[in-house]
Amino acid sequence: MSRVKAKKPSLCTYELLTKDIITKSISVLREIVSSCYGPSGRLKQLHNGVGGSVCTTSSSSSLFSNLSVIHPILKILTTSVQNHVSRFSDCGLFTAILCFNLVEHFQRLNLSSATVIKISKHLLSLCIDYLNSEICGCRISVDFSNLKTLLCLVQSILTSKPACLLNKKEADHISTLILKAFLLTIPEKATDHAILGKSIIIPLKDERVMDSTVLPGIVIEMPEVQLIKCPIKKLPSDALKVALFCISLSGDISDPGEGTLVISYGVSLENAILDQLLNLGNQLINDHVNVVVCQKVIHPALKQYLHQHHIITIDRVGISLMEPLGEMTGAQPIGSLNFISSTSYGYVKDLCTANFGSKHYFHLIPNDSSVCSLLLCNRNETSWNELKLACQTAQHVLQLTIREPLALLGGGCTETHLACFLRNKVASVPECVLKVNDCTEIEYKIVADAFCSALQSVACSLEHDKGKILIDRKYGHFWSIQPDFPANVKWQDLVLKCGCGLLGNQEDLNWCFLPSIHSFSLQNASIQQVTNSTDHLTLDCFTAKLHGLQVAVETASLILDLSYIIEDKN
Amino acid sequence: MVMACRNINRRKHIGLQQLSSLTETGRSFLGPVKSSKFIIGERSHESVLTCSILRLLENLDLNSSVGQLLHETVQSQKNAYGTGTNTLLFLAGAWSTAALECLQQDIPISVIVSVMSEGLKSCRKEVVPLQISLTTDIVDNTGDTRRYPFLGTLSIIPSPLVQIPSDWIQREKLRKDVSSQASTPSFSSRPSSEFSSRSSYSQSVPQIMLQAPQTNLFTNSYTSKSRLSHSRHFNKSENMSYQTSSEEYHNSHKCNDLVQLAVGLSHGDHSSMALVEAAVKCQYQNVRVRKKNCTVPFRFDISKISTCCLPGIPESFSCVYSGYITLISINYTTIIRELQNQPLRVVLIDGDFKENYHHLGFNGLGKVKTELESVPDQERQWVDYILEILTQLNVKLVMVRGNVSENLMERCMHSNLLIIGPVSHHVLQDFAEVTGAVQVTYATQLNEDCVGSDVNVSLWRAGQLNPKDVSKRVAILIKAEGVLLVTAVLTSPIIAQMQAKEDHFWTCAYRLYHALVDEKVFLGGGAVEVLCLSHLQGLIEQSHKKVDLDCSGQLLTTSWVASSQELYRPAVLKALAGGWHRYLSSVVYNTGTCSSESEASTFIQNFLQKTTGSGCPILYLQKEYNKVISGILNSGLPSKLKEILRVYDVVTPKMEAWRRALDLVLLVLQTDAEIITGAEYTQLNSQETEELLLL
Repeated sequence: MSRVKAKKPSLCTYELLTKDIITKSISVLREIVSSCYGPSGRLKQLHNGVGGSVCTTSSSSSLFSNLSVIHPILKILTTSVQNHVSRFSDCGLFTAILCFNLVEHFQRLNLSSATVIKISKHLLSLCIDYLNSEICGCRISVDFSNLKTLLCLVQSILTSKPACLLNKKEADHISTLILKAFLLTIPEKATDHAILGKSIIIPLKDERVMDSTVLPGIVIEMPEVQLIKCPIKKLPSDALKVALFCISLSGDISDPGEGTLVISYGVSLENAILDQLLNLGNQLINDHVNVVVCQKVIHPALKQYLHQHHIITIDRVGISLMEPLGEMTGAQPIGSLNFISSTSYGYVKDLCTANFGSKHYFHLIPNDSSVCSLLLCNRNETSWNELKLACQTAQHVLQLTIREPLALLGGGCTETHLACFLRNKVASVPECVLKVNDCTEIEYKIVADAFCSALQSVACSLEHDKGKILIDRKYGHFWSIQPDFPANVKWQDLVLKCGCGLLGNQEDLNWCFLPSIHSFSLQNASIQQVTNSTDHLTLDCFTAKLHGLQVAVETASLILDLSYIIEDKN
Repeated sequence: MVMACRNINRRKHIGLQQLSSLTETGRSFLGPVKSSKFIIGERSHESVLTCSILRLLENLDLNSSVGQLLHETVQSQKNAYGTGTNTLLFLAGAWSTAALECLQQDIPISVIVSVMSEGLKSCRKEVVPLQISLTTDIVDNTGDTRRYPFLGTLSIIPSPLVQIPSDWIQREKLRKDVSSQASTPSFSSRPSSEFSSRSSYSQSVPQIMLQAPQTNLFTNSYTSKSRLSHSRHFNKSENMSYQTSSEEYHNSHKCNDLVQLAVGLSHGDHSSMALVEAAVKCQYQNVRVRKKNCTVPFRFDISKISTCCLPGIPESFSCVYSGYITLISINYTTIIRELQNQPLRVVLIDGDFKENYHHLGFNGLGKVKTELESVPDQERQWVDYILEILTQLNVKLVMVRGNVSENLMERCMHSNLLIIGPVSHHVLQDFAEVTGAVQVTYATQLNEDCVGSDVNVSLWRAGQLNPKDVSKRVAILIKAEGVLLVTAVLTSPIIAQMQAKEDHFWTCAYRLYHALVDEKVFLGGGAVEVLCLSHLQGLIEQSHKKVDLDCSGQLLTTSWVASSQELYRPAVLKALAGGWHRYLSSVVYNTGTCSSESEASTFIQNFLQKTTGSGCPILYLQKEYNKVISGILNSGLPSKLKEILRVYDVVTPKMEAWRRALDLVLLVLQTDAEIITGAEYTQLNSQETEELLLL
C-alpha cells in the first residue's frame, strides 16, 4: 500500500546577499580559502570526524572536492572554481579569493547590480587587453631554449604548497624531475602538429623525497616478486612483442546477466572457460608474443602455461595505465577471447625488473616513444597526496605554457600591478565608455575602485603573519615588511625583494602602504632584460591566471545578479 | 549534509597540544632501559605487555585528526625502516612543545617553520663526522666464532651520559683481585702496520681542523672517512693539541667486526641481538652453500628471516636455525617420525587450499545450476581428486600460503601427507628458489615440473618441549640444501611478554640490517644528540652577532620573513634544542642512574657545557667515550672486550625519524582549521558545536 503525502511548497528566498546567514557563510568560506593562499599559507585538516583518513591540504582542488556546501550561492562559486581547476589545474585559490572579494566589495556599493555588472565586465576587458598586449608590464615570455624560466615556473607551484613538506633541496630535485619528465614527453620527430606524450606518476610512499626519479617508459609495480627464470627470446628486430588485454582473463563471466544458467551434470563451466583461455594462450604462443599485459586479472593456470613458454605476464595494471601502454607499445587493447588480429600487437625495446624502496617493479623500455614514469616519493600519505597534486598541476602548467609561451609575475606582483594599471586608466574615463555602459563617471569610478581593491586584497591574502604590505610607485610591485617595524627606518632598509623576486631594494622605487587610493602612472620599462639577470623568480601560469580572472569576474557577476532562489523541499 | 569547520586558536594551538599529550605515553619507552606498559582490553580482559610505541598506538583510541596523523607517521617510519619509532614519537612530542613555546613568544609561524627546518638540516650535516664506516666485508670477517658469555650479564652502557654505578666498578675490581692475574690488559692487539696503511688518504685533515676548529669541522672533506678515535692519551691543551689528536684520529679504526657491530647496536638487549647476529651468520653460510664461487659480496636479506614464537617455554630455548620452523598439530607426530630422514617431494600452493577457493579477481560465474536433483558431496569429490593428484606426483609435503580445508587435512594425515599452512610468501618464495618447485594457485595446475625435491622434515627438539606449553602443538623444522631462510625461535616463559619479545627481535634485526645497508653507523649512546645540542648552542651564539644572511636554503626568499629571521632565530633554535635536551634527559632518567628527570636534565646540561667548552666537541665526545671504556676495562674485564664496548646508532633510520618528527610538528603547526566533512548535524556533540562554524 502506498502512502500519499502532501507535497511541501517550494521555498523562495530573495534579497539573498543581505541575508545574515549567507554573508556569514561567505565570509567563513572566504576566510578558509584565503588563509590557504601562497607559500606561507595555512593548512586545513579535512576529515569526516568519525575516523576516516585525514587530508592535510592547502590546495583548492582537494579543498573544494571535499567541501560539501549546501547553500546555492556557495555552490555556484565552488562549482565554477572546480570547473576552472579541472581545465587548467592552476590558480584555483586565486579565482576563488578574487571572486569572494569581488562579491563582498561590490555588495557594499550602493549601486544597482546591473550597473556594477556592466562596468566590471568592461574593467575585465581592459585587464584582458592589457595582459594580452605587448606593453604589459607584468608578464614575461618564456624561452624554451633556456630552462631557467621553466624551472622557476615549476618551483613556484611546488613551493606554494607547504603541505608537501619539501625543503629547498627537495623542491629543486622534484622541479628538475618534473621538467625532465616533461621534456621526455615531447616527441623527437616533430611533424606538423606534434602530440605531447604522457608522464605517469607512480606512487612510492614512505620513502625519502630525494629517492624520486624519472624513467623513460612505463614502470609497473609487481604485487610480489616474480622470478624471471629464463632470458626472454627476443624477436630478430631486437624488440619484444606485446599483447595488451583490456578484458579480464581471470576465467569468470564478465557479465552473466539476469537469470540462471542450467548445465547438465558433468559439465564444468569453469573448465570450459579455462580451455578457451588456454586456446587464447596457444594463439599468443604461435604469434611469438613475449609479454602479455592485462588490465585485469589473468587466470593462474593461463599464467603458468604462458610462463612455461617463456612469456612474461603482467596483470592487474589498472585502467589508468592502459592508454599510456597502448601509446607506448603501439598495441591495440584486445577485448575478445576468440580472435586476435595480428595488427593489435605492439612492441617494446626491452623489459627488466627494478627495485625501488622495498618494492619490485617491471620496467617496460620503449623504442622511441614519449611516455615516461615519474616515481614520486614522500614520507607520508597526506604529504604524498599534496605533492602529487602539485606535480600534476606543474605538468599541466608546462603543457599550457608550451602552447602560449608566456608567464605572469607571481607573488602578488601581477595583482598589484594590474590594480595600478586600472586606477591609472580610469583616472580619465572617455565619454563613449560611459555611454556604452550607461553610467555616470562617479559610478564608473566607484566600481573601478572596488574592482582594484578586490584585486589588491588577493595579493594581501599572501601575507599570513600580520606583515604590512607595500607597493612601489614605479612598477606597482608587491612588497611585504614586518608588522612591528621601527618608526625612523627607511623603507628601503626594511624591504628585501618584491613578491616575484624581480626587483631588489633600489632607492628610487618610492614605496607606499597598499590600501592606497592615489593613482600614479607606472613606468613601462621592459622587464624582460631584468628577468634574465635574476636568479629566482616566482611565476604564474599565464593561461590559467587569465582564465581564472575571467571566471572570478563572471561568477561574481552571476552571484550579484541572483535575486531569487527557489528550492524544492520535497 | 553539513560541513563544519573548527578554527584553531593561534596562541594555544590545539593540534600541537594534542600531539604533545599523545606522545607523553611513549616517554618510558625511550633508551636502552625501557619500562613496559600493560595494555588491558576492558571487554576481552586480555592483556599484553608492550614497550613499543606502535603497539601502544594500535591500542589507543585515536579518533582525533592529529592522533591519526601521528599514527600514520609512526606507521610509515615502521614500514620504511622497522626501527626509530620511539625516537620519532618522543621528538614529535618534544618539538610540538617547543613550537608551542615559540607561539607563546609571538614568533610568526612562517619563521618557526623556516628556522626549525633549517636548524635540523644544519644539525644533520654537523653529525656526519660521528659516522663510523663499516668495512664492506664485515660479515665475511666472522670466521672467528668467539662468544662473549659474559655479555648477558653486562648491563652497562658505555656512554659518558650513563653514570656507571661506582659500586659496580668496585665489585668488578674485587672480583679481579680475587681471580688470578692471568688476564692482564693488553691494549694494542692490532698490528701497527694496519694503522699506517690506512692513514694515507687523510693527509688533508689536520689543516682543516686547524682552520675551523669550531664550525662544520670535517663535514666536507671528511664525511665517510671519519673514524673513531682511540685517543686514550689524548691531552687537551689548546689549539696545538688538534695536531696530535688528529694523528690519533688516523689511528682510529673502522668497525670491521660483526660481533662488535651487533653488540654496539643491541642497546642493552643482548639476547635479541645475539639471535639476529646468529641469523646473519647463518644466512651468510647458506649463501656460500647455494652460490659456490660467488664473488658478489654478501647482502643480508631481512625478508628471508622468519620467527617462530613459543610462549611458555624457558628463555634458554631461544635460538636460530637454518630453514623453516613452525608449529603444527601434535597429531602429526607419527607422520613426521616416518617422513624424517628421507628427501621429500614438495609442492607449494599460493592461495587457500579449499574446494571453493578462487583466485583474486575471479568474480564467479553468475547463477549456475546443475541439471541434477541430488548433487553428490562436492567437497568429498574434490578431496579425492586432490589426493589422487598428490599421490600420483608422489608428493609428501604441501606448503600452503593460505588456509587449508579441514577435510583435506584429515584425509592427508591418513595417507601420510604433511600439509603446512599458512606460510608466508617469502618462505614459499625461498623454497621455490631452492627446490625448483613452482608455486601454483590450484592443485589442478600441478604437474611434474611444479614439484620440488630434496626437502627434509624433522621434529624440532622433540621431547624437550612440553606439548602442554605450546597448546598441543609440536615444532617442526623444514630444510632444504641451500635454503637462505633462517628461523629465529623466540621463547618466553611469560606469555604476555611474547609479542614484546618478537617486536624486540625485529627492531634489532632492522637495526643491524640498516647498519649493513648504510655501511656506516653513528657513535651512539647520546653522542649524536649532544653534538646537535652543542652545535645549536654555537648557532645561537653566532646569531647574536651579526652574520651575513644566507637565504640559499630557504623557500620564502622574498618575504619579510626571511629578513626578520635574525631576530627570532635564537629563540626558535633554543626551543629546537630543548627538544633534544628533553630526549637525552629522558634517556638518562630511564636508565635509572638519576633519581629525577630534573637531575638528569642538570647532568646533561653540565656535560653539554663541558663539551662546548672543550673547543672541539667531536674530539671531546670521542675522548669521553674512550675514557668510559677504559674505566670499565680497568675494573677488570678482559681486555678483548675493549672492541665490543662500543655503542652505536643506525644512521638513516635515525635521521629519518628526526625529519619525520619535525615534519609532523610543522604540518600540525601550519594547520589553522579542522574541517569536518559530511557529518550530519546531529552527529556533532552539542558541546562541540559551540566552537564549530557551520557552512
